[in-house]
Amino acid sequence: MISKSKRINGVSPPINDERSTVLELRRVVRQYEGTPPVRAVDNVDLRIATGELVAIVGPSGSGKSTLLNLIGTLDRPTSGRLFVDGVDTSELSDSALAGLRSARIGFVFQQFHLLSGMTAVENVAAGLLYRGISRTERRKRSTEVLKRVGLGHRLSHLPNKLSGGERQRVAIARALVGDPAIVLADEPTGNLDSKTSNEIVELMHRLHADGSTIVVITHDKELAANLPRQISIRDGKLESDSTNRTPPLSVVQGAGR
Amino acid sequence: MKSPFTKGKSGPWKSQLRPGDVIGTGTVGLRTRRARAAFTAIGIAIGIASMVAVMGISSSSRADLLAELDSLGTNLLQVRPGQNTFGDSVKMSADAPGMIRRIAPVEAATSVSEINKTVQRSDKVPSNTKNGITTYGSEANLASTLGAKASSGRVHDKASVKLPTVVLGSVSAERLGITDVETAPRVWIGGKWFAVIGVLEPLPLNPEIDRSALIGLDVARSTFDVKGLPSSIYVRTTPEQVENVRSVLARTASPGAPNEVSVARPSDALAARAEVDKNLQTLLLGLGGVALLVGGVGIANVMVISVIERRAEIGVRRALGATRRHIRNQFVVESTLLSLLGGLLGVAGGFGVTAFYANSQGWLLALPVQGMVFGVVAALLIGALAGLYPAVRAARLDPAEAVRPAA
Ligand SMILES: Nc1ncnc2c1ncn2[C@@H]1O[C@H](COP(=O)(O)OP(=O)(O)OP(=O)(O)O)[C@@H](O)[C@H]1O
Ligand SMILES: [Mg+2]
Repeated sequence: MISKSKRINGVSPPINDERSTVLELRRVVRQYEGTPPVRAVDNVDLRIATGELVAIVGPSGSGKSTLLNLIGTLDRPTSGRLFVDGVDTSELSDSALAGLRSARIGFVFQQFHLLSGMTAVENVAAGLLYRGISRTERRKRSTEVLKRVGLGHRLSHLPNKLSGGERQRVAIARALVGDPAIVLADEPTGNLDSKTSNEIVELMHRLHADGSTIVVITHDKELAANLPRQISIRDGKLESDSTNRTPPLSVVQGAGR
Repeated sequence: MKSPFTKGKSGPWKSQLRPGDVIGTGTVGLRTRRARAAFTAIGIAIGIASMVAVMGISSSSRADLLAELDSLGTNLLQVRPGQNTFGDSVKMSADAPGMIRRIAPVEAATSVSEINKTVQRSDKVPSNTKNGITTYGSEANLASTLGAKASSGRVHDKASVKLPTVVLGSVSAERLGITDVETAPRVWIGGKWFAVIGVLEPLPLNPEIDRSALIGLDVARSTFDVKGLPSSIYVRTTPEQVENVRSVLARTASPGAPNEVSVARPSDALAARAEVDKNLQTLLLGLGGVALLVGGVGIANVMVISVIERRAEIGVRRALGATRRHIRNQFVVESTLLSLLGGLLGVAGGFGVTAFYANSQGWLLALPVQGMVFGVVAALLIGALAGLYPAVRAARLDPAEAVRPAA
């Protein structure tokens, strides 16, 4: 048991990219119990490297959100493994995963999920709350990031005084403020009109150019087409990956379930 | 299959929340839902206020009673003849007071002898009219033994007990319509006129004296041809020896039949009033306790609702790196602070009620420190307890579920 809990067991992931791997899924399955049980994520192999900007596309109910929650460690695989920074997350305790999220992962939600009653700065600062960083330092960094996303003039606004696009930019700032290894966005433009959506997409491109690693779920074909890499999902299975650098392992090994 | 939340290793990353931020996250819900917080706190405030008030009022009242007892002294004993086994009333012998005075720790002893004569304002009223005033033949040292003072005129002295003079107890004077002795009033006792030379102040320990007319014992014997045997002997002892004296009094007063006399300490009756207060206090404390229970259940209820409403917030916090413990603590702190808010309001309210009541009773205000400390501690405990279940529920929420858009 203890020896099994060692990292990666000496099986290093195949590196065919000079950039380091942030995240790797190996034969990940997430099955929801019920009659019949639903395999929302079915035997997925996936590797994401530092600095990538990835779109996940697929029809409704195909398992995109489930996959993103697994990547973000909000959920655990029924089977298979998820490595973050080379650490096998299946071995980690619940609070260790919380620590991982606080340090390495930023989330952006379709419904923004800002905390009402808190100003923009306070909302962004909440992204550093569970890092043991002092209040003044949190505010300082939050102000900087809000300026970066173009909201330097909205620091003390409450969420209900902000437009949808501004709210989502606050949420993006909150995801970025902890300087995460990867930002996960589940349909970040789903609640926005097309003009505001474009601003958010533009912002993501800019952040990508600055070196952030971003995975974004989208229904928007055009948006996805403009991103460097697209992964499409159907019935919980990886259908296609525009990058052939990381072919699904199951395909390579010709293994079934 | 593996349970989704098995215990596991600690990884290279660790969440941490500063102590100040634990309080900070615990106030978020209160700051953003002020009206609800206020309403929720009221239940606890009422419960704590009533308990603090009850404790404050009873301690003020007890302090007042103790001060009164202190000034009256608890070293006065009273010996009265009881009834013998045949139900006949017995008398004490005339030399009983003298024998009692010979007990070393006895500072003073004095007797009164009930004289079966009515006291009237005029000689025209039929002599069998009852007015509840008892005539006593008394000794010159009665006032000094009881600590009695005259509110008008003077008390008996060695000379006045040999003359047809009378000193009235406070209630008797009121019933006879005599408030002072300026006009040299007289009263008609058993067919003789007696000059009223004084009226006594009320004696809380000796209500029977308040309802009496005191004439000299020798005068009573010679005028009414009675034996004037003691019907009551008052004994003042040194404060330390009260119990010792008490244990030998019956035998001394009635050596032949010590069980036919009774010995009492009048201050005990007064102290019993504090006991009565205690019953009332228990009742009121019980009511306050019920209010607290209801207040606590109210807090738990509101917290459960709050957890359901704030599902998304909980999910977001988990996504931002909060551990289950952080979430649980946030809600426990919130409910504790909520209750503490109510508790502080309640302590202030209870103190106000105590001050108002003590003032209206003319009592010294005893700061109900005990009640106030109790109030704050009770509020803290109730809040933590009421918040525990909702907090654990919040901590157990599946983060992936919680961030999912509500159906
Ligand atoms: N908690 C759950 N219990 C049971 N089944 C679930 C649960 N959550 C999701 N599912 C099922 O898993 C499948 C994948 O759901 P998921 O939310 O990941 O899809 P999605 O690709 O994000 O869809 P959409 O584009 O509509 O958001 C669906 O069939 C859904 O019904
Ligand atoms: Mg989805």
